[in-house]
Amino acid sequence: MKKKILSLLLCIMMAASLAVGCGAKQENTQTNETNTETSNSSTSNGSTEEITLTLWSIATESDAFHPAYTKAIADFEAANPGVKIVHETFENQSYKTKIKSAVAANELPDIFYTWGGGFSKPFVESGKVLPLDDYFGAYQDELPEAALTNVRFDGKLYGATYTTPLSAVFYNKKIFEENGLQVPTNWDEFIAVCKTLKEKGITPIGISAKDTWVIAMTHDNLVLKSAGPEKVAAALTKSGQTYNDPDFIAASAKLRELIDLGVYPEGAAGLSNDEASAMFYNGDVAMFITGSWMAGSLQTDPENPEDFDVFQFPAVGGNGKATDFMGGATDSFMVNASTPHKDIAAKAAFELAKSISKYAYLDGAGIAAWKIDYDDSSVNPITKKIANFASEATSFTIWYDTLMEAEDAGEYLALLQELYMGNISPEEFAEAMANQLEQ
Amino acid sequence: MDSVRKNKLAIFLFIFPAALLFTAIIILPIFMSSYYSLLKWDGINKGVFIGLKNYMDLFTSKSVGFPKTIGNALILAVLSVFIQLPISLGLALLLSKGVKGERFFVSVFFIPVLISTVVIGQLWMKIYNPDYGIVNVALRAMGLDHLAKPWLGNQKTALLSVFIPILWQYVGYHMLLMYAGIKSISPEFREAAKIDGATEWQIARHIIIPILKPVIKISVIFAVTGSLKAFDLIYVLTNGGPAHASEVPSTLMVSMIFDRNLYGLGSAIAIFIIFLCFFFAITIQKFFKAEVD
Repeated sequence: MKKKILSLLLCIMMAASLAVGCGAKQENTQTNETNTETSNSSTSNGSTEEITLTLWSIATESDAFHPAYTKAIADFEAANPGVKIVHETFENQSYKTKIKSAVAANELPDIFYTWGGGFSKPFVESGKVLPLDDYFGAYQDELPEAALTNVRFDGKLYGATYTTPLSAVFYNKKIFEENGLQVPTNWDEFIAVCKTLKEKGITPIGISAKDTWVIAMTHDNLVLKSAGPEKVAAALTKSGQTYNDPDFIAASAKLRELIDLGVYPEGAAGLSNDEASAMFYNGDVAMFITGSWMAGSLQTDPENPEDFDVFQFPAVGGNGKATDFMGGATDSFMVNASTPHKDIAAKAAFELAKSISKYAYLDGAGIAAWKIDYDDSSVNPITKKIANFASEATSFTIWYDTLMEAEDAGEYLALLQELYMGNISPEEFAEAMANQLEQ
Repeated sequence: MDSVRKNKLAIFLFIFPAALLFTAIIILPIFMSSYYSLLKWDGINKGVFIGLKNYMDLFTSKSVGFPKTIGNALILAVLSVFIQLPISLGLALLLSKGVKGERFFVSVFFIPVLISTVVIGQLWMKIYNPDYGIVNVALRAMGLDHLAKPWLGNQKTALLSVFIPILWQYVGYHMLLMYAGIKSISPEFREAAKIDGATEWQIARHIIIPILKPVIKISVIFAVTGSLKAFDLIYVLTNGGPAHASEVPSTLMVSMIFDRNLYGLGSAIAIFIIFLCFFFAITIQKFFKAEVD
């Protein structure tokens, strides 16, 4: 009997402790709520209280854009007393996962960095992104419409862009001079340069086939410069053009041609982009095809930055021209539709984009998307050259994995890796892409 | 004590908190995932109910390539059971005999289990690097240049190159389980056998291993289900590449959900992994029971 009483007592004690635990928690949340309430009311009725905006981006400390972000935020805070911006940065690849789950879980910060085009389409469709048309008026003279094509959805503006990257061929001037090589102006010359380098025992082009977007940098260019921008856009956005087309097959065959020539380092399928670019900075490979962001790294990472230069990807034949460029503004700031400080957050998105456009261009980290109304004589020659390419460009086509919706883009990158490894032929590649896009 | 066991209220009160947690954290998500697996859903906007289409895609769609990942996971399971566990058992037998520095060795073999998998991944990435990796450097130093290759970048070697660190990492874990099991066997058995003139091998084969069977069963279940769920090291080393050569179900699931926004298909893969784990856990239990009978 005694035991029974004891056990009952124990049970009661446990139940009581549970109840106490729950109760305490409830109290906590209640006090939290009252806290946020008071802070909300105080921010709305007086300018004495500080407004804190949270900004998420991928400009980590090692990123070429980091200094521009820091300066832009300082400028904004100085111009808008009482507003504080908390900048949180994440690594590129993991940020893609993070931002998607944040949208799904309603945990977006006030302002967030994202990529335009197919990547942000589901965010906008979910209604959790603030349309910025009402706030754009003050800036429309400074930010050209061409820089906003990838952040317009159904005619409405959702993002503020700040840089117009484009892809080009970076090369090691010293290696070219030592081997008596000229910058190639068409595809045959390009192949001839690769062959000469190969004969001299130099690996012509660096690439990472593990980070599949690096293969895409080359393949996107080949497709664009053999099929032309209209055909590419029609095929990838499912507007009445099949991917299974001689021009597209020819482009993939050109990639195979390069691989079969042995222009890429052995084992590129196991190298990350960082490892592959390091080979280029060290002078182990002669060329590297990637986006203009490399111009910024070229100022800091190699021992002799003056050894490097850039040329535009040559036309490959068919409808493409050398002045049709892969690239365009897609890096952008979007504003959370449920932020309590809509006006100031939208203003911050544009102001930050404007300042980052300027500072990043002056640093050589990126090509300015906003009008240049300042002295840019200090910009490094490579970045300036790319800015010239941009001003002479006849068209811009954004990276295919951004242009396409995520599902198609994932398949495109996976198939590219198969094509690179030689598991599928260019014909099979085109057919598989056509199937994916027609689904 | 008996009276407590018979008291229904007490039973309920004691089990309830744990059961609540277990249901909320494990059972409910499984049911939610199985519902998601019937949707075509991008994870953000509203999903569309499409029945079992995701499951059919798993086995018919060439671009998903799911059967191959199951094959890879099973290869890992076989390697775990027939290579990793015998090594663990051997080490456990050796150490439990009372080698000099027994405790030291137990700790040393257990260290890989304690180190963060990402750190181990970075470490092995350097070991496999085609230029300065220790594997290729050693091969070249021995004049075997033709054997040196980009281990993680070659479709033929990537799978095995990824599995080796996984097997290596958990040898210590299974060893510790078995070591503890052997230590708990009464030394009288061993002494009695010795007096009867049994050799060390005979003691291990006929006395220790049969008594250790429950522990070995647990180890086999952990090894097999662990192989089916393997993710972290593969994600760090190759992310399933090159060209899906080292893809396993869980890396495929992540790439489907987060790279392609196919939340429904990813959930279908998750459900399938859970199903396989249960299936193998039960089969292994049955197998060991049959052995005992």
